Amino acid sequence: MSGYQYLDVKLKLRDPDSVTLTPVFLCGCILNSLTNIFGEIGGQTTLEIVKFSSTDKRFIFRVSEDFLKRVRIAISLIGYYQEVPCHFQVLSTSQKPLDFEATPEEFIAF
Amino acid sequence: MVRIKNRYIAVQIVPYTPTETLRLNDHSLAKILLQNVQKYHGVYGLGMIEQGFRVKYINDRTKIAIIRCLHRGQRFVSSILPLITLIGDVRAKFRTLYIGATIIQCNKFIVSHQKQFLDRAMGQMTSAKERQDLFKRVMEFDMDR
Repeated sequence: MSGYQYLDVKLKLRDPDSVTLTPVFLCGCILNSLTNIFGEIGGQTTLEIVKFSSTDKRFIFRVSEDFLKRVRIAISLIGYYQEVPCHFQVLSTSQKPLDFEATPEEFIAF
Repeated sequence: MVRIKNRYIAVQIVPYTPTETLRLNDHSLAKILLQNVQKYHGVYGLGMIEQGFRVKYINDRTKIAIIRCLHRGQRFVSSILPLITLIGDVRAKFRTLYIGATIIQCNKFIVSHQKQFLDRAMGQMTSAKERQDLFKRVMEFDMDR
């Protein structure tokens, strides 16, 4: 067992043109939500973005198994990304590394 | 019917610079504690303890307080007490003395704790008047609030 869980997540924005979507901003957004909901003690975890596609607004990140529940809660409760209303859709969760199905040449691997 | 289990936490407030009184009432102490729970355990932690949370007793002179919280939220409260360094605008820390399931047990503990303190402090007093004053001050325990 790797001890990690991989999440395939899609970001859906109301106004996609007015935001700058980068892995760092995205990570910050999720970590902010974690700290807000679970506080300084409960919300500290390492979040690694494995794959990121800005055209699809889709990304795969991994998180330790113990924090899966909390991260999923935090992701579901995010309502704004850079002050633009949004929501995150978790497409799949897996213990094995995930991959985007279509157009693999567009990925920016990290 | 479901029985609601409470936990009563007896704490002592230890100021950084020794002061006579704390100028702190039960509401302001509760507010400070809830703020800190939100800081360290977030909105989730605050939601877990907010129901049934109350400062039942606070004594300005002896600096002892009893906090009531739900049994299931007890960990959220007891874990943040050592992390608090500022109470209001005074530098102070919390010493957790006792955690009990009934307020009577908490009272008993505080009385015995205060008696121990009296035994130590009485030896240093010279006049009988001072001793009486100290006794009154330390054993003052009105739970009318």
